[in-house]
Amino acid sequence: MTLKVEDLTVCIGDRRLVGPLGFSVARGEPLTILGETGAGKSLLAQAIMGALPRGLNATGAVLLDGQRLDSLPERARQALWGRRLAMLPQEPWRALDPLMAAGSQVAEVHALIGRTPWQKARSLAEQTLTRLKLDRRAGAALPGTLSGGMAQRVAFAAATAGGAGVLLADEPTKGLDEMRRDEVVRLLADFVAEGGILITITHDIAVARALGGQAMILREGEVVESGVAERVLSAPQSAYGRELVAADPATWPLPESRPATGDSVLRAEALSVARGQRLLCAGIGFDLPAGGRLAITGPSGLGKTSLLDTLAGLIPPSAGRVERLGRARAPFGLQKLYQDPPAAFAPQVSLATSLDDLERRHGLPPDRLPSLLQRLGLAPDLLARRPRAVSGGELQRLALARVLALAPAVILADEPTSRLDPVTQRRVMAVIAEAAEEAEAAVILVTHHATMARHWALEVLDLERNAEVQTAA
Amino acid sequence: MTGGIARFIGLAGIAAMAALALAGPLLVGHDPARQNLMASLPPPLSEGHLLGTDHLGRDMAARLLAGARITLSLAAFAVLSAACFGTGLGILAGWAGGITDRLLGAFADGVLALPGLLLVLLLAAIHPNSWWTLYAGLALTLWVEFFRMSRARTRIVVAGPAVEAAQMLGLGRWHIVRRHLWPAVATQVLTLAAFGAATVVTALATLGFISVGLRPPTPEWGVMMAELLPNWREAPWTVMAPVICLAFTVACLRLCAGREEEA
Repeated sequence: MTLKVEDLTVCIGDRRLVGPLGFSVARGEPLTILGETGAGKSLLAQAIMGALPRGLNATGAVLLDGQRLDSLPERARQALWGRRLAMLPQEPWRALDPLMAAGSQVAEVHALIGRTPWQKARSLAEQTLTRLKLDRRAGAALPGTLSGGMAQRVAFAAATAGGAGVLLADEPTKGLDEMRRDEVVRLLADFVAEGGILITITHDIAVARALGGQAMILREGEVVESGVAERVLSAPQSAYGRELVAADPATWPLPESRPATGDSVLRAEALSVARGQRLLCAGIGFDLPAGGRLAITGPSGLGKTSLLDTLAGLIPPSAGRVERLGRARAPFGLQKLYQDPPAAFAPQVSLATSLDDLERRHGLPPDRLPSLLQRLGLAPDLLARRPRAVSGGELQRLALARVLALAPAVILADEPTSRLDPVTQRRVMAVIAEAAEEAEAAVILVTHHATMARHWALEVLDLERNAEVQTAA
Repeated sequence: MTGGIARFIGLAGIAAMAALALAGPLLVGHDPARQNLMASLPPPLSEGHLLGTDHLGRDMAARLLAGARITLSLAAFAVLSAACFGTGLGILAGWAGGITDRLLGAFADGVLALPGLLLVLLLAAIHPNSWWTLYAGLALTLWVEFFRMSRARTRIVVAGPAVEAAQMLGLGRWHIVRRHLWPAVATQVLTLAAFGAATVVTALATLGFISVGLRPPTPEWGVMMAELLPNWREAPWTVMAPVICLAFTVACLRLCAGREEEA
């Protein structure tokens, strides 16, 4: 069994979005397509399925076992969905029906696509879920109450229940922490080992590395590089390929460890954090020196963001205490960077207006902000726009400039790069480290990306191993 | 795009109406209260009267414009006060939360439980035939909508990271109101204001028509309709004139409001 794509292009009107590109995937050798957001990766998957949004059209050939799929009428193509071709959509909790029990959604596929009687479909679904280590309780739960990793396993079960031999996985690990990401990767690898054809679309280089097989790097809809995954990922030939591979946090140079020299600016003692009645984490203690870089990591749901808000003084601790020392005691000594950059700015006014308000309120010297913007590599003409019209990476740097203008002692960064591409992520994290060091500001980074935390911070606090601080090796 | 054109037509209509009302009786050259019993109910365009006269020989055009003055000024003042009061309290309640929010919310619900027209009738019964009574009654019924809308929007915006960031940066309350809260409610305040003005115009005419609002000889549209109704057989145009004015004003205001859409 092989899936072959020849000269595939996707256009809107006469503007070409993807291609022309071609590849061939055989059983047991998965293909991973890498590239940044907007590179047309998802369009490629939709073109193979025959599920492109209205207004877009595809040309070229898609062949499954030598049979042309693209020339089939729409109904015949849709009849293949779930039976021969299946798609694992991104963000499973959006793809699953929020009002239907997880197990029933899998049984439904067995019954309607696999045409098995309902009774048998239910027991088949239960077997599948057990094999994916989902118990009866998870099967009876609504998708909204499942964790991201569990929801992705349910979506995987539902997508493959129809017995499709070809699986297209579109960003299957988006928004998952490393542990859950590795679970999903194992699931996909098992699918390949059982003889399935797998095409994975991702921007996470670690996923491509773990899956092996073939890899292809896309940029602006065009193939920059392709070949055996190991070769492409270890010795990329193109400039963009090198940049993309270098953006993988696992390859970032480890920060040089240096003894904490500065005086403490923020100290937590036996700190507990709760939301409402629920205790999220307890017994947290650390001592952050001026200019230090501390990362707080741990899987989702352990209250990382709540902990950060407690440190910022936005919510009171349920036990223990937070102490601000030295420069951090100043009124604006603690500042915050947010996960979704556009959400952190006033949406209906230009960025210049927002920054002018800041300048006026604090009586900043007139060259302070312009020189910061220049230092962070931001063009002044960006300021005329509204926040939604500026890219995420630029906006996050702008948020950093806004914060640095007040010369804070501590910057609290809540997943500042989780919505950014790997290449942009690397640049933004590097800029945060450099600029904070120059400004002698300490940074606390909250992230679920443990590898990035290790390669960026001087100290790491792993909430799962509960509250012990580890100094970078 | 069609929404834009409709809104433009509505605005132009209201602007024209307001300009005519401001220029008022000067434009027609007749006193709206001056009677001439020798010339009652002549057809339009006769004897120097553009739209004829009523049963007491008063110039119709002058009376209609005087009515427009009363109606539009009342609508403008009532809506403006209701919008300022309602939006202000709504932002306060949504932002402060807690006990302030509960008290203000309960107050608004209490006012809402009373039918709007009943409140106006009550006030009109205490102090009949007064512009100020009608103004107070209508403004009191209108502010609740502004309050509820701006409270709901404010709650969402205040809980978001943009306001939190502004607070941490020390940008102050005025900045938050001006750059975050007001832009979030402004479009809906304008929409509600246009709908509210249409409500006031209709309510005023209704009250005048059933003789509980303003009273004759005040040249108010609803009062005029009631006064002229007995003559509908001889001079149908005299009854139609205030009806057309009323319908035109309300239609223009509704067009201004446009569809209720998210900005």
